[in-house]
Amino acid sequence: MDWNAFAEFSLIGLLSGGLLALVALGFVLIYKGTRVVNFAMGEFMMLGAYGVYTAHVMWGLPLVLAIPIALAGVAGAALLVERFVLRPLAGQPVISVLMATIGLGAVMHGGIDAVWGGQNLEMPQILPRKPLMLGDIMIPGTALWSFVLALAVIAALTLYFRYSRTGVAMRAAASDPITAYALGIDVRRTQQLTWVFAGCVGAVAGVIVASMSSLSPAIGGVALGVLAVIILGGLDSIAGAIIAGLIIGWLESVCVGYFGGKARDVVPYAVVLAILMLRPYGLLGSRDIERL
Amino acid sequence: MTRRRSIVQSAAGLAGLSALGVPLATALAQEGDLVIGAAPPITGVFAFAGVSLDQGLGDYCSWRNESKGGVMGRRLRYVSEDSGYKMDQAMAVFKKLMAAHKPPAFYGDSTAWAKAAAAEVSQLGSTITCSPSYSSDLADPAKAPYYFMAGPTYAAMIQILLEYINRISKAGKPNIAIVYSDTEFGRDPIPAAKAHLAKLGLNLVQEIVTKPGSVDVSAEVAKLRRAKPDYVIFHGYVLAPIPEFIRQMREAGMGATTFMGTIWSMDKSTADAMGATGDGWMGVMPYRYSHDHKDAPMMGVMRDYAQKKRQIAYVNTFYTHGWLVGMIFSEVLERTLKARKPLNGPNMKAALESITDWDTGGICGLLVSLKGHQIPSGRIYRYDAASKLFEPASGWIRTA
Amino acid sequence: MRIGDFRASYRHDEALFATPVQRLWFALFVLGLLLFPWLGGSYLTYLACLTGIHVVAATGLNIITGYAGLISLGHAAFMGVGCYMMAALASLGVPFWLALPAAGAASAAVGVFVGLPSLRIKGLYLAVATLAAQFLLGFVFREWDAGTGGVRGVNVPAASLGGIVLSDDARIYYLIMACAVALALAARNLFRTRIGRAFIAIRDKDISAEVLGIDLFRTKLLAFAIGSFYAGVAGALMGYFFRAITPEHFGLALSIFYLAAIIVGGLGTLLGTVLGAAFMTLVPEALRGGVALLSAWWPNAMALLSPVREMVFGALIIAFLVYEPHGLVEAWRRVRRFFHLWPFKT
Repeated sequence: MDWNAFAEFSLIGLLSGGLLALVALGFVLIYKGTRVVNFAMGEFMMLGAYGVYTAHVMWGLPLVLAIPIALAGVAGAALLVERFVLRPLAGQPVISVLMATIGLGAVMHGGIDAVWGGQNLEMPQILPRKPLMLGDIMIPGTALWSFVLALAVIAALTLYFRYSRTGVAMRAAASDPITAYALGIDVRRTQQLTWVFAGCVGAVAGVIVASMSSLSPAIGGVALGVLAVIILGGLDSIAGAIIAGLIIGWLESVCVGYFGGKARDVVPYAVVLAILMLRPYGLLGSRDIERL
Repeated sequence: MTRRRSIVQSAAGLAGLSALGVPLATALAQEGDLVIGAAPPITGVFAFAGVSLDQGLGDYCSWRNESKGGVMGRRLRYVSEDSGYKMDQAMAVFKKLMAAHKPPAFYGDSTAWAKAAAAEVSQLGSTITCSPSYSSDLADPAKAPYYFMAGPTYAAMIQILLEYINRISKAGKPNIAIVYSDTEFGRDPIPAAKAHLAKLGLNLVQEIVTKPGSVDVSAEVAKLRRAKPDYVIFHGYVLAPIPEFIRQMREAGMGATTFMGTIWSMDKSTADAMGATGDGWMGVMPYRYSHDHKDAPMMGVMRDYAQKKRQIAYVNTFYTHGWLVGMIFSEVLERTLKARKPLNGPNMKAALESITDWDTGGICGLLVSLKGHQIPSGRIYRYDAASKLFEPASGWIRTA
Repeated sequence: MRIGDFRASYRHDEALFATPVQRLWFALFVLGLLLFPWLGGSYLTYLACLTGIHVVAATGLNIITGYAGLISLGHAAFMGVGCYMMAALASLGVPFWLALPAAGAASAAVGVFVGLPSLRIKGLYLAVATLAAQFLLGFVFREWDAGTGGVRGVNVPAASLGGIVLSDDARIYYLIMACAVALALAARNLFRTRIGRAFIAIRDKDISAEVLGIDLFRTKLLAFAIGSFYAGVAGALMGYFFRAITPEHFGLALSIFYLAAIIVGGLGTLLGTVLGAAFMTLVPEALRGGVALLSAWWPNAMALLSPVREMVFGALIIAFLVYEPHGLVEAWRRVRRFFHLWPFKT
């Protein structure tokens, strides 16, 4: 058994798992805050990536300006979405909200396709490319730095939710909106903020993914693979998203290494089915208690 | 409640009005026109190829009308509609255009479409078809009688590359890896390629399949790198993820590996996108490139027309392909009409197969014979990152 | 209340077509369907065939999701199972009137298997499970070269009845419409029976239904089975219609299309299914006509057709969910209610 090959695939997998964890974080934030699974997350990622492309490549602004501008754009889009799509559907059955996010995804995808076209565009190089050589094992620079960046964002968000006033208010509103209202927390504002954060997290993930390969509407497809991460980790657990991201990333990479690229089609969904059969709420998710 | 009702009513009214557009559009047509229908992939994964294809084919029709009055005095009318590189959309466009215009010539969007529509086209027996597909199954006059391709089959292209590798490798058996995409387009020539590889006695060290549209290929590249190939043949891609593969391999220190591709990844834009890492990118192309029009009058004509009509300075390979397909369609129509035969499938097939030793005006280097429903010739080119152009690395090779 | 419409017996109350007027409308509708290929022309017949297939599949999905409340994102994969089963049987020479039910049965079996998680999970989690099943089945379609022809797909021989070969759009139209009408009536009938009411009970509150004595697990699996049967038949009809089938036909986009169709039409109503399927099939055509009209002023308009079509699709879903949650059926009922007592105001 070639341990070097196994170690290489494992390491690459763990590193790409960081990125998966970041996207999963976006899903988990929205689910925790508003009990909605946002099937349009892939499109938020695309919006962020295309935003940076437009600001940096098309308008010629330096990256330091381009990235905040793109993030601001995505935040604005998230606010519009929350106000005009999600708020009218508050309290509606699950299927309505699910289809609304799917419809939203279609609108955003079509819009991006219409404005920027479907071809592959070259993103500027944001992450350093120099690979890390550990003996025989090569870690591509992009994999390494995407992991570092993803981890930084996750850490920043976790600290924010733990220690800042608004963060704590968001957590309170997420766990019990009525009590939060009673304590004077503006729950509607926290829900808006949740969407803004999730959108920005998605945008950052999208920029990272685009700079690793190339910019095209295919980036949105990454989000469907992240479904496995959030199911494994638990729909409302941030820690679960991180752990599950690493596990799924590692599993996918090792399977690709030994069974070929087609494993990417099977592994995430087989994991989803297995988890749903054995332990539906995932590793760290909270149980839904239904009352008559 | 009333506001909601008025919104729904006005939307319904608009929808009804817009449906009127269909008969209006067809009413603007003219009798006696020769319609060339097409369902190019203008949006979707192969969008930039599709847009240029569409332009090339359409521009040839307008150029032919302007300069030669059409075919035998009948103007060519080009009707195309986007297929989004989705098979069901392409079929829908095909059925719609067939119902509305009954075109004697039709250009599809992919290998999948061509194979799926083959049965219906045979049964209709009224149209000669082409598409961006060079699948070996479709170069069979018995199985696909009304289909032709404007180049050699994918299997023949890879065969050319393998023969080239065999010829230039003097010391020992070179290690070869094949990377292809998991689509009909990608998988088509692989069995024939592997068989030919074995026949030549070359070493296949790795076979990598990538999911179409996948963005993260780090694990696949790691697998490829570990196999330490001397040559890597890519097939089934237009651009992504080739640059990422090459970049990561070069960063891993595999500077000596040669990377090669087949026709659809041999466009200047693909190679330019690779930047410095694209230096040495090789592959098979059945046509000349836009900058190479010294002994090729038609290349010059095409360039000038594109420049005049669309301000395009450098004509890409997809435009060239579209232009050439237009030429072949016109030639088939012309020969059928000249023989005073009705424009149906069997007659046009006979006309197609009568095209031997035909001068394409330099687009293809050798005289073309379409008897086998393909153009069995091509040349190997190498990309020079300094001049940003593809230069020939071999003479014109006949494959069949 | 309708004037003069008295139901004197339970049988009369439950009848599918209770009044002579309803029967007349239905007869006219069937007559219109019979005459359509002659009146409509080849392209409209093509659209009608497509609509018929979509109606059958959407009815199946409405049974699972609209009536029984089990969200299924894997409907297109069930259609694929039915289609490939039919292709395998047809290539062995089995006639269509055996192949169609067999395809439905195969699909029902797979549907039951995919529905097994409903024992433990429901709502969103079940939706994700069916989504995973959709992708896994898609993988099987693409990779199992021996069974499904892999990425290359299969070619289906034309259906034939006696000596008549159904190779033409106009001929297969009759087969499709016959199946669609029969299956739609069967579905309408289903919801007069105990099983149908059990489905509705599960949708409303499944724990209460269990308390009332309905076997949850069996009923949920039955919903999946019946709905997937419909999907299998629709897939087989699609196979006879397109004649060349590839796995691309049965992707996630089609599943979402059907969900959109039943939501736009009206969840849990049969008329809604028909209206929704017809609406979602015809909107892209109207859109194409509109964009063709626009391209007179703006030459590049046609290139935007695909993205605009996608945007309109998404916008329609959102608009209906926000403004008309009960779907087209509700709009239709409002119109009818207006005319019941016309010219008096309601």
